[in-house]
This record gives sequence, C-alpha cells and structure tokens, in this order.
Amino acid sequence: MDFVCAPAGIVDARWPKQGMKDMQAAGFSAVMLDAALGHPARLMEKGKSEPGMKAFLVAAKDSGCRLPLAMAPNLLPETKREDLAGRIEALAKETLAECVAAGCPKLVLHPLFAGIERDALWDENRAYFLRMAEAARAQGVQLLLVNDVRSVNGHYVRGLLASGRAMREMVDALNEAAGEDVFGCCLDMQAAGACGQDLYDFVHEVGARLQAVLLTDTDGDGRKQLLPYTLAERGQSEADWLGVIRGLRAAGFDGLLVLALRDTAAACPPLLRPALLAFAKKTGEYLAWQVGMEREIAKYPQRVLFGAGRMCRNYLLNYGKEYPPLFTCDNNPATWGTEVDGLPVKPPEALRELPEDCAIFICNIYYRDIEAQLRETGLRNPVAYFNDECPPRVVLEKMEKRG
Amino acid sequence: MELSVQTKNIVEDAHPEEGFQAMRAAGFSCADFSLNQYLLNLDIYQERLNGFFSQSMEELEAFFLPQKRAAEAAGVRIHQMHMPYPIYVPQASERVNRYLWEEVAPKSLRVAKFFGCHNIVVHGFKLRQYLGSEEAEWAQTEAFLDAMAPLAVECGVTMCIENLYDGFGGHLVEGPCCDARKAAERIDRMNEKYGAEVLGFCFDSGHANLVGIDFETFLTVLGPRLKVLHLHDNDGLHDLHQIPYTFAKTRENRASTDWEGFLRGLRAIHFAGTLNFETAPVLTAFPEALKMDALEMLAKIGRYWAAEIEKDAEQ
Repeated sequence: MDFVCAPAGIVDARWPKQGMKDMQAAGFSAVMLDAALGHPARLMEKGKSEPGMKAFLVAAKDSGCRLPLAMAPNLLPETKREDLAGRIEALAKETLAECVAAGCPKLVLHPLFAGIERDALWDENRAYFLRMAEAARAQGVQLLLVNDVRSVNGHYVRGLLASGRAMREMVDALNEAAGEDVFGCCLDMQAAGACGQDLYDFVHEVGARLQAVLLTDTDGDGRKQLLPYTLAERGQSEADWLGVIRGLRAAGFDGLLVLALRDTAAACPPLLRPALLAFAKKTGEYLAWQVGMEREIAKYPQRVLFGAGRMCRNYLLNYGKEYPPLFTCDNNPATWGTEVDGLPVKPPEALRELPEDCAIFICNIYYRDIEAQLRETGLRNPVAYFNDECPPRVVLEKMEKRG
Repeated sequence: MELSVQTKNIVEDAHPEEGFQAMRAAGFSCADFSLNQYLLNLDIYQERLNGFFSQSMEELEAFFLPQKRAAEAAGVRIHQMHMPYPIYVPQASERVNRYLWEEVAPKSLRVAKFFGCHNIVVHGFKLRQYLGSEEAEWAQTEAFLDAMAPLAVECGVTMCIENLYDGFGGHLVEGPCCDARKAAERIDRMNEKYGAEVLGFCFDSGHANLVGIDFETFLTVLGPRLKVLHLHDNDGLHDLHQIPYTFAKTRENRASTDWEGFLRGLRAIHFAGTLNFETAPVLTAFPEALKMDALEMLAKIGRYWAAEIEKDAEQ
C-alpha cells in the first residue's frame, strides 16, 4: 500500500514550490499529479487562460517527490458547457503525456458526460476510454476509471460509473476489448459520499480492479473535500469510514491511498498548513493501518495477545479462528488463570517462554505504556497494536438464535 | 391510473368518514393506510410497547371496522399499508423483538387482509454496521420475510420491501434495499419459492433522492416487481416528505429532484399501478385553512403524472 497526498488546496499551480515543500516537510514522499490544478474547471468553462502543469511538474521533480498517480482534469457536474467533451479528451491525452514524462504509472480518468445523451453515455465512454488505452498501453500507463456523479439542477446523483457493478462491467468490457488489463478503477469518496453510497459494497463489487482510493470527508451535498474525521455532527463523522475500511481490508487492498483534503487545506491559514499536513499524514497512516490490520496479523507465524477485555474479545470474534492466539496476558492478577471466550489468560511473565518470532498484539488502548513495559522486561518479540474501532463485524447473539 | 395518499394527518380514528371523504373530494380514490401510526418507531426504539398489537384479531377488526366502512362509503380503496417499523431493533431486548416478530408483523398482515388490502410495506433490517455487509444484513431480513411468507400467501398480501436510508452524523446514506438488481433477484427468488407474489417492491422517491439514486435506472430494473410507491420530495439532504417540484438548488430554480427520470422510468416499465403520495408532513406544514388546497395540489400533480405516463402507452 502506497500513501499519496493530493495537492489540491495545498499547491498553487503557478507557484508550487511552497506547497510541495510543505507536503515533503509533513512526511509525504508521494504526491498525486492532479492536472485539474493546471486546468481548473471554472477557468475552462469560462474560456479563460489556464496555468497548465509545467511549474508543478518542475517543482515535483526538484523536490524528489514521487508521482505514483495522476488525475486528468474534469468539468463540474453542473456545467452548462456541452461543447467541452473534446477539450476534456485532449487534456486527458496531455495528462497522459505528462505521466509518461514524469514516470507516473497510473492515470485516473472521469467519464465524459457533457453534451452526451443519456442513452449514448455507455458507448461514447467506452469508445473514449479505448482511444485513451491505445496510447496508454504503449507507454505502460494503467488507466483508472473513477466513480462519478451527475447534476440534476444542482443536486448530485449517481453517474454512469457510480455503482460498483457498473464500474466492474465497464472495466472488464474495456480490458476484454483491449486484450489486456489496461484498466482498473479508483474510488472517489467525495463522489460516493454525495450519493450516500455503501462503500463496502462498492469495494466488494470491484475487488482487485480497485487500484486507488481518494480518502476524503464529505457530506450529502458532495462539494467538500475535507480531512478525514473532521466533518462531524452529533459526535459522529459523516463519512462511512467503517464501511470503507472494512471493504478495503476484506479485499486485501494493497494499492494507493490518496489523502484528499482540498477544502480543509485551502481554508487553513498558510502559517498553520505545515502543522495541518503533518496531522493529515498521521490520519492517513491511521487509515492505512486500519486497512492493513488483517495483513499485519497474518504476517506472523504465531501470536499472543496482551489484554483480557473487550478488545481481546473482538479479536477472537473476528480473527480468532483464522489467526488463533496462543494465549493472552493482562496486568490484572485477578484475570490470571481465567479464560476469555476460551482463551487462557496468563501473567505477563509467560511471555518470556515465547519463541522470538511470536508477535505480541496489544489489545488495550494503553498501547505505548504496555509496549514500554514489554521492552523494559527485555522482550525482543515483535510488538504490534490491535484495534477494534473498525471490526469486520459485531455479532448480535439474539439474531443468531432466531436466524 | 389511480391516485392514493397517506391517511396520516387526514383520517382520524374518532371520525374517519370526514378524512376519507376529504381524500375523495380532493381526487384520491385510494389510500395508503398508516398502520405504523399505531406503534410509532420512536416508541419501538425506546422499547415502549403500547400494547395495541397485543389485542386479539377480533378486537383489532372491531377497532378498524369504522375506518373500513368509512373508506368504503367514500369510495376509497385501501391500496397499501405500512407495517410498523422498525421490525427488528438490534440493541433492544428479546421481549421487544419477539413482540415485533410474533405479534406486530403477523397481525399487520391480517389487518391488511381485513381491509382487502393486497400490499403492505415492510422495512428491511438495518444491521450493516453490526454484520459488516449488505449481504449479511439481507440474510436477516430474508429470514424474517421467509417466516411471514406463508401467512402473506394466506392473506393474499404482497410484502413490499422499500429503499431506505441510514445515517452517519447528519449525513443520510443508503440503507437496506437500495440496489435494484439485488432487490429484483431476491424478489424473484422468494416468489418462486412460494409460488406466489409474496414479495414486491415499494419505491420511495424521497429516500432515493437522498442517496442520489438514478430514478429511471432503478425503476427500469425493478420492472413489474414494483408494486407500490411512496412519492414525495426533499432537498437531497433531509427526509422532508414535501410536495413534488418544491426544491431547487440553483439560480435557474429548476426542480432538483429528477422527476423527469421518474416518469421515464415508469413509462419504460409500463407502470399501471397507483400513484401514492406519502406526504403527511405537507398537511401539517400548511395552515389548516389551506390543507384541502394542498391535498388537491398533490392530486393535480398525480393526474399530471398519470397523463404523462399513460401518454406513451397510447402512442
């Protein structure tokens, strides 16, 4: 899994150096080549001069930032310009050339929609994507289709490739026509969020075709791109983080996680932006850790747990069969000699008997404290953190009896 | 094509004749009987069971006889009903869920039969957060529907699953039954199993609008499995149950709900059912003096839609 920062709201296409430095200083080594920075929809639609991507590409190269993903420009869903499909295709080709020059292996393309009759959308887009595939294949660039919205007089509803099923069908049809896997897909949480979509379901439908996810907080209006977990009401985030984490984890996702925080970054005073980006990186790392939770558990030939409470129970519930722990420990002597759902609870001293490659998964929120405790005793086993904030499932016993 | 409207805020238990007569006068020949009013969702969530459905069927029939007679006298057919919801509460006690499954649901089916009503809307279980996937959630809803199906056959009632929403904070997102293809497959499977139309679909335009569902595609996929409608409008963010064409989002002030797509969808499937408005909040939003005007406006919209849908059939 690679972790990427989307530059919108952070980098100005005309003077990109400061934004690029801020991202690097925050620890981002990879940035998305977002061609919309150089070709903003609002300028395109008004026929005004666009800054282009030259300065951005020079700054990216000078900074040493990797560009593992690019995104071609798009129009606003509510555009009144029905004559710009050709321009969008031209810009997609230009972005493809920029990808090749920059060594960027993946390019995100939005479906065309402006000026295209509803009944013709599928065929026109199929033809457009196949035209792009001709050049992309020759250059070794993979094309990622992204889920979209359309505007009903300002209200965003699901577009041509909004559903996981439609996305899967289009990608498969295109790859079959192309004779090889030129196409994959990208999940845009902003577009999906506008339509309140089930993100687990989307990821489940597209499976291994999913190569990138644009991680962002948004609401039902669908016009915001905010730092994850910052759009909240009644103490709850308005994005389906649980669904997307579960989906990506279940799919064994190992692609690109792109942190897209355009509006949070743009609204943040420039002097505070470095701190924001550093925090944003931490947020992204947390999401990547959650997504990779099962992979982390599976990494070790053997494991034990530390903690005999709810988190231990959730581990056993969700992973106990496939990745059984040998036992668990707890600092509370009253638990020693008891069992948690059939798992013996032992004193921490029992950890000394373990082979060195047996991992200790801390199942308690006092992670750092317990890790320090374990290291102070001289243990050299791998120590990892388990977390049950996003468990695959929570079983309801009553339902099991009735069902 | 007939027009229908929700009985809530129109028909009162104390004097049902007035409400049904008003419905008829406004232009509605059918009604969506709000059976869910007799055990409210807020009470179910808070485990306050009022005992209404603890009554025997004889008692319930006696209770509803005046409404039945009033509807008949006014020439209003009870086309559809709404079972109380939710019909399963994951965090509630066994007592509450057992009551919902063993008393409320079967008696609702029998009440539908008493009214001569052939369609009852049932809410799917909201369990995705707990069980991890929509498939796992549907399995539980299906188990419930399977348990009710023999009685549904006996009563001659089709249980209609409805597209619902759920929420994160203030953000409304798709809930049960928002995938038309899955719904179609599941309906076909269950009906084949029982050799009868025990399962159908209720398309709720307001709920669909909240989660950006493409109306035309959804309806086209459902086809003849679409049995009843819940028609109303909202701003795309809140479940407001208002008059269609009320909301606009841009300077051009054109409707932000895809009613054209809705009509194309119904035309595409040659819909010949009943256009039902689930618009009780409209009647409390307007002053009492304008209530009948609001009701008549809804009927006018219904007649306009019926003409638009039937126009293609005639051509």
